[in-house]
Amino acid sequence: MCPVDSTTELAGITLRNPILTCSGTYGFGEEYTAYCPLEALGGITLKGITPLPRLGNPVPRLAETPAGLLNAVGLENPGLEEFLSSYLPKVRKLPTAVIANISGFSLEDYTQMARALRRDSGLAALEVNISCPNVKHGGMHFGTDPQSAEDVIAAVKAETDLPIIAKLSPNVTDIVEMARAVQRGGADAVSLINTLLGMSIDLDRQRPVLANTFGGLSGPAIRPVAVRMVWQVYQAIDLPIIGMGGITTWQDAVEFLLAGATAVSVGTGNFVNPQAPLEILKGIQGYCEKHGIASVRELVGLAHKS
Amino acid sequence: MLTEGLVVVHERLGEEAQRLMKLVLKGPIAKTAQAGQFVAVRVQDPTLASYDPLLRRPISLAEISPESDEITLLYRVVGKGTEILARARCGDRLSIMGPLGRGFSLPEDGELWLIAGGIGIFPLYPLAQRALAKGLSVRLFWGGDNQTFLESAGLSEWQALGIPIHLSTMDGSLGQKGLVTVQVLGLLWEFNGKVENSGQTMDGKLYVATCGPHKMMQAVTELCMNSGVPVEVSLEERMGCAVGACLGCVCTLKDEAGTLIHKKVCQDGPVFRGEEVVWDVSC
Repeated sequence: MCPVDSTTELAGITLRNPILTCSGTYGFGEEYTAYCPLEALGGITLKGITPLPRLGNPVPRLAETPAGLLNAVGLENPGLEEFLSSYLPKVRKLPTAVIANISGFSLEDYTQMARALRRDSGLAALEVNISCPNVKHGGMHFGTDPQSAEDVIAAVKAETDLPIIAKLSPNVTDIVEMARAVQRGGADAVSLINTLLGMSIDLDRQRPVLANTFGGLSGPAIRPVAVRMVWQVYQAIDLPIIGMGGITTWQDAVEFLLAGATAVSVGTGNFVNPQAPLEILKGIQGYCEKHGIASVRELVGLAHKS
Repeated sequence: MLTEGLVVVHERLGEEAQRLMKLVLKGPIAKTAQAGQFVAVRVQDPTLASYDPLLRRPISLAEISPESDEITLLYRVVGKGTEILARARCGDRLSIMGPLGRGFSLPEDGELWLIAGGIGIFPLYPLAQRALAKGLSVRLFWGGDNQTFLESAGLSEWQALGIPIHLSTMDGSLGQKGLVTVQVLGLLWEFNGKVENSGQTMDGKLYVATCGPHKMMQAVTELCMNSGVPVEVSLEERMGCAVGACLGCVCTLKDEAGTLIHKKVCQDGPVFRGEEVVWDVSC
């Protein structure tokens, strides 16, 4: 039998395989190289950047919950200028597709960054975070109001020739409405899902664990919610979906592909097992072989077929 | 490096109520590890795969034996993760990432004072061993709740090193009653006085490494800065990735221009120069 074809296509980018890493969990690409060769990944998504540098939230920023992790980092990042001068020259040489992630507090924040990040920057795509739950007056507004979401995606699209991936928040009443809005705005793909808003209280101190009170929940605990949203959005729009939310094993990844994700992204799972992306790829290939499937692309949305 | 550590010793350390454990793992980490570095251990009941608890547990290296390829981890059972870790048996293999972070630096010559509070003593032992092997004079100040704690947490191993030891306990059951910093202050004045009387400066004479509660390390840092003594502190913060990717465990430092900056405890630390740490921070 021929080896399984792992290549996939997403928003006009050819990826050597459908395994990506999530923004905010993989730094700027160099942190995990001792554990997972970047050559083995379909791509990585960089830590989110904002126009100006941000120190982020005070500590504690993390709280472990059953099969989950709450975080409230608050978009700590070096800012656009420092990203362009110190990080971009390095990340564009990384041996994998590199997706930048941008966050903002106003339309102008997003367009300013989009203008600076174009195809000639060496990036593969731009993920637009309209869903960070951890900053006050933050991107969340763009992620919960369909018209704002459409407007910000359209504005970014007008400023850059890179493919645009809209990263959606699960903290909405109707994820399908949001997905349709970003499709209207001109998004080339969607990332589903960002973290779920949550909190945890310290019984000894009788105070919230996180300095920010609220944080975003990630990890295996949120996977069923993410799979459900991928399923719904796959049925409603024509854009490719990057599925994420609690993917730790190859079985998790296959579930997302079957639900309709074209690619999958590993986030918190890297903290548990820094070689998870490698094991997931191997597992998907083994699954395809076992089921006589020639290409991972054939798995996408398979569970919808009657 | 991601490796599997073979459990060769896993036993209770001292009195049961102290809930201290000694875990010795065989693997390649000992060859490259420095005192003050740590490992991130996956805690999972081998008979029951589960994602609760989810994250690895960062544990400092309490002994580094490159000749036998062994590292020793001493830890206190304080919650679900360490309770599950405590069930690992000899012959089990634990997934470990490490050695991680930046450890203590070893002075070229002079005297090295180690100042520990509670189980903050653990990462200082390999530093003492290496300093003694290098021919440095080493002195230990160690404070704990009571005699039982100090004896359970390895006092006899420290005594076997043959170095001067100054103990403090909160209840006065062993050593001087009260905070360890009181003893440090007394001897620091004495040391300072001798150096000044001989018409010399403190440069290169004395170095301090400290690990323990935040407030203790803050007090030690202030004492050292007042006397012009370089001090290294080992910070603690809740960690996510342990490799500098997630920004979960930042601490606040002051750079040379006086600007507040964040550094990652897991990657830039856990050991930092005391004078650069901003101790009372709300950003």
